[in-house]
Amino acid sequence: MRSPFAYAPRPGAPLQSASPGAAIAYLGALAAVAFLYSSPIVLGAAGLAVVLAGWLAGARAAVRAALWMGLTLALLIVAVNALVVGRGETVLARVGEWPLLSDAITAEAISAGAVLGLRAAVAMVAFGVYSACVDPDRVLRAVRPLAGRSALTATLVSRLVPVAAADAGRLRDAARLRGPGAAPAGRAPLARRLLAGSLDRAVDVAATLELRGYSLDATRTVLGPPRSKRALAPAARGRGSSRHDGRFYLAGALVLVIAIAGKLLGADAFQEYPAVSVGAGPATLAVALTVALAGLAPLPSNPRTARTPRTPRTASTSPPPGGRS
Amino acid sequence: MQFAQFAGQGGVVLALGGVGYAYPGAGRPALRDVSLRLGGGELVLLAGRSASGKSTLLRAACGLVPHFHGGEIEGSVEVAGVDALASGPGELAAAVGYVAQDPETQVVSTTVAAEIELPLELRGDPPRERARAVEEVALALAVPHLLGRTVDTLSGGELQRVALAAALVTRPRLVLLDEPTSQLDPVAGDELIWLLRRLNEEWGVTVLLAEHRLERCLAAADRVVAMADGGVAFDGPPRDFLAWAQEADTALGTPAARLFSLCGIEPLPVGVRDARRTLESNERGGEGSRAPSSLNLFGGGSRSDRGRAAEKAQAVRRGSGSSPVTALKVRDLWVELSRHDGDHDVLKGIDLCLGRGERVALMGRNGAGKSTLLRTLAGLVEPVRGRAEAPAGIALLTQNPGDYLVRERVGDELAGDEGLAALRGVGLERAVDADPRDLSGGERQRLALAIALAGRMEGEELPALVALDEPTRGMDRARKADLVELIERLAGRGAGVLVATHDVEFAAAFAERVVLLGDGAVIADGPAAEVLSGGWYFATEVARVLDLPGVVTPEQGAAALLPSHESAFTPPVPGQMQIREGGG
Repeated sequence: MRSPFAYAPRPGAPLQSASPGAAIAYLGALAAVAFLYSSPIVLGAAGLAVVLAGWLAGARAAVRAALWMGLTLALLIVAVNALVVGRGETVLARVGEWPLLSDAITAEAISAGAVLGLRAAVAMVAFGVYSACVDPDRVLRAVRPLAGRSALTATLVSRLVPVAAADAGRLRDAARLRGPGAAPAGRAPLARRLLAGSLDRAVDVAATLELRGYSLDATRTVLGPPRSKRALAPAARGRGSSRHDGRFYLAGALVLVIAIAGKLLGADAFQEYPAVSVGAGPATLAVALTVALAGLAPLPSNPRTARTPRTPRTASTSPPPGGRS
Repeated sequence: MQFAQFAGQGGVVLALGGVGYAYPGAGRPALRDVSLRLGGGELVLLAGRSASGKSTLLRAACGLVPHFHGGEIEGSVEVAGVDALASGPGELAAAVGYVAQDPETQVVSTTVAAEIELPLELRGDPPRERARAVEEVALALAVPHLLGRTVDTLSGGELQRVALAAALVTRPRLVLLDEPTSQLDPVAGDELIWLLRRLNEEWGVTVLLAEHRLERCLAAADRVVAMADGGVAFDGPPRDFLAWAQEADTALGTPAARLFSLCGIEPLPVGVRDARRTLESNERGGEGSRAPSSLNLFGGGSRSDRGRAAEKAQAVRRGSGSSPVTALKVRDLWVELSRHDGDHDVLKGIDLCLGRGERVALMGRNGAGKSTLLRTLAGLVEPVRGRAEAPAGIALLTQNPGDYLVRERVGDELAGDEGLAALRGVGLERAVDADPRDLSGGERQRLALAIALAGRMEGEELPALVALDEPTRGMDRARKADLVELIERLAGRGAGVLVATHDVEFAAAFAERVVLLGDGAVIADGPAAEVLSGGWYFATEVARVLDLPGVVTPEQGAAALLPSHESAFTPPVPGQMQIREGGG
């Protein structure tokens, strides 16, 4: 079974068609907002934006899985923060003296944990959408001329992780199929077997890379950084880019500029302690609205219907072929 | 383009001179004094039993041996004029393409387009040329519709084509293929072989193809090189190879050649068309072939033979599944699985019954639902509708026996009386102290089966149903004969045996009944002799040559052709079928 985060090409979908740079700029800007702001309103807007972006890009399984994981993590953070931090005026419960734990659970600590959790959830959903929508081969191709060894490592990992996951699935199945009279497979023997299998796989992949000519290093020498964009052929410049790139660069830049400007103008009005205070002024709302609307960037553009060229209405003075009837 | 210089070139593409090689730490050499020259545009078939040195020879020809695997090598290897011992696989990549047996192990990219483009990118070709080369090779291999797909959503046949495309995209002069059809169904396997022939003819690519199922590719080959014990035992045209195999190693012969040998017809045929032409020529009393005058060919008497064969096959059908004890009962089974393009019904209303002691082959194209059916029977997949009942249990051996082996001593895998009983059940009781990795491929398969059987046996009695999923992948004919023997032993001790396989010759050898799946539904269910002689792709070579109902093995064919042996012809019944390795 495929991982929900596995890249799935969707022909025509703007986010999948976009160049890795454009997609990373766009999703990175939304994730950056989550780290810049503490305001639950703006964080909520960033969360809405990444969910919307993934949904419109067709990565619904990835969004669902990332939301599930992100919200689980958020709940964990809320619980830990509530138990460890005792600051705040609104005491909800007294739990007594425990090592490492606070003696009181406060609404403020829960709120602070929720903000941290929301931040983590937004980042996870953004990464989930990135993973499902951005072609890793194109990312590696972009990185390869700059950092060959890192790209090789990433190539091996990106190939071996799903293969190891499939191997693990097969080993689990085989463990379930063992007869009741056979020794139970056990976690440690299975882990050893999986590790040995992964090493074999790594050798196979390395052999394949050798056969494909990886050791020639031609990519770095022929297509490496010294070549300027202008020096490349027109086809080379066009390759990897998409007509949708502009909108993602624009959306990413807009989100970042407005988020930074809003931060400077006090749009991040949120205070956890000693009492929770959430600012909802025009600046905060403007930033939240902009960020949320940025989630619409992957919306597919309306297909343009092909128009048949109209026959010129101007009267022709010359007779049609074959003469007038 | 850079590779245009090779187009239409002849000359020597691969030259090995006195090559000897041993893997690091190996006790015996894998190659011994191998000398071989391959000319431009040849399609050469590399035959030989398992461990005869075929794969090592291919690895030496692409530079993996010794540069990647290490070890000691002597002699000389030249590929397209490049010294392969001085240059590594990377330097040879422009001249030679290599496709391994398991395509899963040789894809490194996420998408098909990137996988095919990678060798060109690594070579430093500019994007415009890369785009054109990818487009052309995709068209040549009929995979342009796959370019946008991710490799993990491809079927085995599609993945094999993509691996071939990645090997061909640099337009190498030499392509090496190591058992490329071992995981493919008969349809995809035939398509791949004829695709190679077409590329060989149109592009002038030299092809060196290692295969066990020779009947599938002998007709497409210009020349056969047979390996034995690391050396070249034969090198010559396909027809001469068959004559040599009759004398030297009958396990390397084809079923049609054995049929002709049993009937005393010469020359031995290299394929179905060749065989039919020879038989038709005999029927007309033509020159150029030698056959006994008593041959009863397609004409006179064939109708009565067909009628008799059909009646006998009917008798087997009436007998099949009539075992008083049911091993398996499947009713209206529907299974839905998720694929790259959404949820699909993989099994569609399967009805199936199996008696104890019955031997059944489950056949069908890649993706027809064979493995899913077995996994559902074993409880690994939940059906969305219907039910499967195996009242006395099921032991399933999946496609990778190695997945069952997780310890370093056989006795640790199977401890206690139940473990020993299971080992005895598969004839491995003497290997209790062995390391599973030291066992042969066939023994490892038996050990995995024993692990699946352990505790499901009552004393020495086997479970009601034993299921094997594609157990013959990469096996030579001798190991298949061992497997047939094991299946007969299991069935003889009361287990119903259900084997999913693509190998029609193997199915003809062990099965008394064949269930054919098509797109998740049962499209044929009957006696093996009837099903395997009633089509084209899912038919044995003998069936395709003779086109007589119920005649699928060389022995049956000989009995049908030679009136003096008429009494010898019987449709397959339990306990009588086996892969004949004996001479002609």
